Amino acid sequence: MSKQIAIYGKGGIGKSSTASNVAAACADDGHRVTIIGCDPKSDSSITLLNGRRIPTIMDLMRQGVDITEDDIVFNGYKGVKCVEIGGPEPGIGCAGRGIIVAINLLRKISKALEEADLVIYDVPGDIVCGGFVAPVKKGLVSEAYVLTSGEYMPLYAANNICKGLSRLDVTFSGVICNSRGAPNEENIVNMFAKEVGSELLAYIPKDVLVQNCEREGYSVIEKAPDSGIADVYRKLAKAIMADKEAKVPRTLDDARLRELTRI
Amino acid sequence: MPVIQKEQLILHPRPSSIVAALYTLRDLETDVTILHGPPGCSFKHARLLEEDGMRVVTSSLDESGFVFGGMDTLVEVLEKVIERFNPKRIGIVGTCASMIIGEELHEAVTRVQPDVPVIEVEVHAGYRDNTKGVIIALESALSAGIIDEAEFQRQKSLLKEATMVEKRHGAASKDYLEPSRGDLKYKVAERIIQLLKEGKSGINIMNAKKETAYMFVDINAAVVQAAEKLGVGSNIVNMANLDENLGLPKTRRDARNINEDLKGMGIEIHHIIGGLDEYPVAGNNVNNLIAEKYPDFDFAVITGVPHALPMDNIKDMELFSVTNGPRQVAPLKDMGHNHVVVEIDLHPRTLGVNHIVESETGATIREMVKHV
Ligand SMILES: Nc1ncnc2c1ncn2[C@@H]1O[C@H](COP(=O)(O)OP(=O)(O)OP(=O)(O)O)[C@@H](O)[C@H]1O
Ligand SMILES: [Mg+2]
Repeated sequence: MSKQIAIYGKGGIGKSSTASNVAAACADDGHRVTIIGCDPKSDSSITLLNGRRIPTIMDLMRQGVDITEDDIVFNGYKGVKCVEIGGPEPGIGCAGRGIIVAINLLRKISKALEEADLVIYDVPGDIVCGGFVAPVKKGLVSEAYVLTSGEYMPLYAANNICKGLSRLDVTFSGVICNSRGAPNEENIVNMFAKEVGSELLAYIPKDVLVQNCEREGYSVIEKAPDSGIADVYRKLAKAIMADKEAKVPRTLDDARLRELTRI
Repeated sequence: MPVIQKEQLILHPRPSSIVAALYTLRDLETDVTILHGPPGCSFKHARLLEEDGMRVVTSSLDESGFVFGGMDTLVEVLEKVIERFNPKRIGIVGTCASMIIGEELHEAVTRVQPDVPVIEVEVHAGYRDNTKGVIIALESALSAGIIDEAEFQRQKSLLKEATMVEKRHGAASKDYLEPSRGDLKYKVAERIIQLLKEGKSGINIMNAKKETAYMFVDINAAVVQAAEKLGVGSNIVNMANLDENLGLPKTRRDARNINEDLKGMGIEIHHIIGGLDEYPVAGNNVNNLIAEKYPDFDFAVITGVPHALPMDNIKDMELFSVTNGPRQVAPLKDMGHNHVVVEIDLHPRTLGVNHIVESETGATIREMVKHV
């Protein structure tokens, strides 16, 4: 059975960089990995493709192309299959509908969702409408992860996501801390994870290598495999691939969240 | 990565895929169908389908539903439907609004867990070919085990042909089709009677879509009756797509009902050219039959979907066609049909019936032959 996961978290918190580094690390371990970029920004797979931007499903639809698998599924680092859904220009049309249409098309014409050990859906930070949870609602996501730093706002977002997940019937598989250098961060996120009934899977330190590699169009796994941060992503990848207990998250009230981040 | 040839923009309104899905659910003997969308969506057809024994209810999605989603309401409606109507088979059909905001019809089924089959049709009206609505409904019926793979494949290939027929000579053949009332019925009836009096030989064809046959066949019956009245009954050959052993249950039942009525009227169909859902392809059988047996006939009366008949072997005959589409007149004239009659509002009058329904054209022929 393949693992189908989505990483949620506040906008800009580091979901896409975490997703692509995890994808690369899993590919290193010999897993077949597919990454589906569900963000109209289409920035999920760039660092797996040496900085190359691939045509998005929405680009091709707009051109009225008869789309086949080869047009939208691209081999990236160590055979990671990369797909970008894309979307309309900001401010026009309906990006959410775009995701629904693209997911349906993908299921019909591509085996990339089935013939993989790990499928990662990289969703944008703000799930602004029904379309953005199409992969979940269509039963394509079996595990969800929440990425957060130890600051109040990202944790507030993470807490809200837990609320949403408990409604959507998706298994909650863990919290990941992506550090923004806040004081006592690992402890805070660790406590948060426990209180929502889960566990902290990894603490990713803030490291300028992530941004430097990204600028060149690479993951740290590919460009700086011997770095400490590459090790952190590799450990996280192993934790994601491991079997975990299925859980439905609890949520904290706002007073508790504020108290937690005051430590 | 071949760029699909950009299809021309069609300006006139055409049948909707949502409505096509509703009619398919009726053919699949669904008791109640829930339209998940705004209260007025497909209102006219929803009302007509009630005449045919399928209830249609709506989840009445409103502005707040568009913004916040309508799943709770859909669940409530599904529960109410089960409680109130005790249906044996339920349909849930999408609409533009619910599909755009990403409602998952299946979620309601998962939450309610009805113990009767539910056919979920995730459809909106934005498909270029309205047959898409039929295909999605049939796919869902297939996965619910209501039809088998063979019937599904058969229907799919018929629908593909139906789409081609519309593109070649039907509603999708031009960027704009002007609606028309067609030729005057009494003029056309007069001409048919005159040909009969002259002892001309005619082919009397019904190639109708499903229940519309209940009225179209009345015109063919009137032609036979007129010929008999004039003592030239043997000059007429009858063909009709009235095979009782093809199609979904309702389609077969309709064919049986009509055949029985015809028998009662003493009218014999000499050639069965297919089932009532085979109107897109039955014309090929007509084409072959004419080439083989009736190449020298003088005229042909074609009711139903006349534009699905190949012109190869009828082009030298005087052609009378009867359609129910005011937008079908111009394409038929372009094809070379000499007389085109429109039976206006035919479809609504063939819903909820199980006997032949009198047509205006048929009544006109009968009336005029009385005075000969
Ligand atoms: N551990 C880290 N150390 C340093 N920089 C990081 C780290 N993680 C992410 N970043 C940087 O933070 C920025 C935002 O990351 P990313 O685009 O992955 O966020 P996101 O959550 O996917 O955003 P969005 O919600 O917009 O999709 C990027 O420039 C990325 O390089
Ligand atoms: Mg991102």
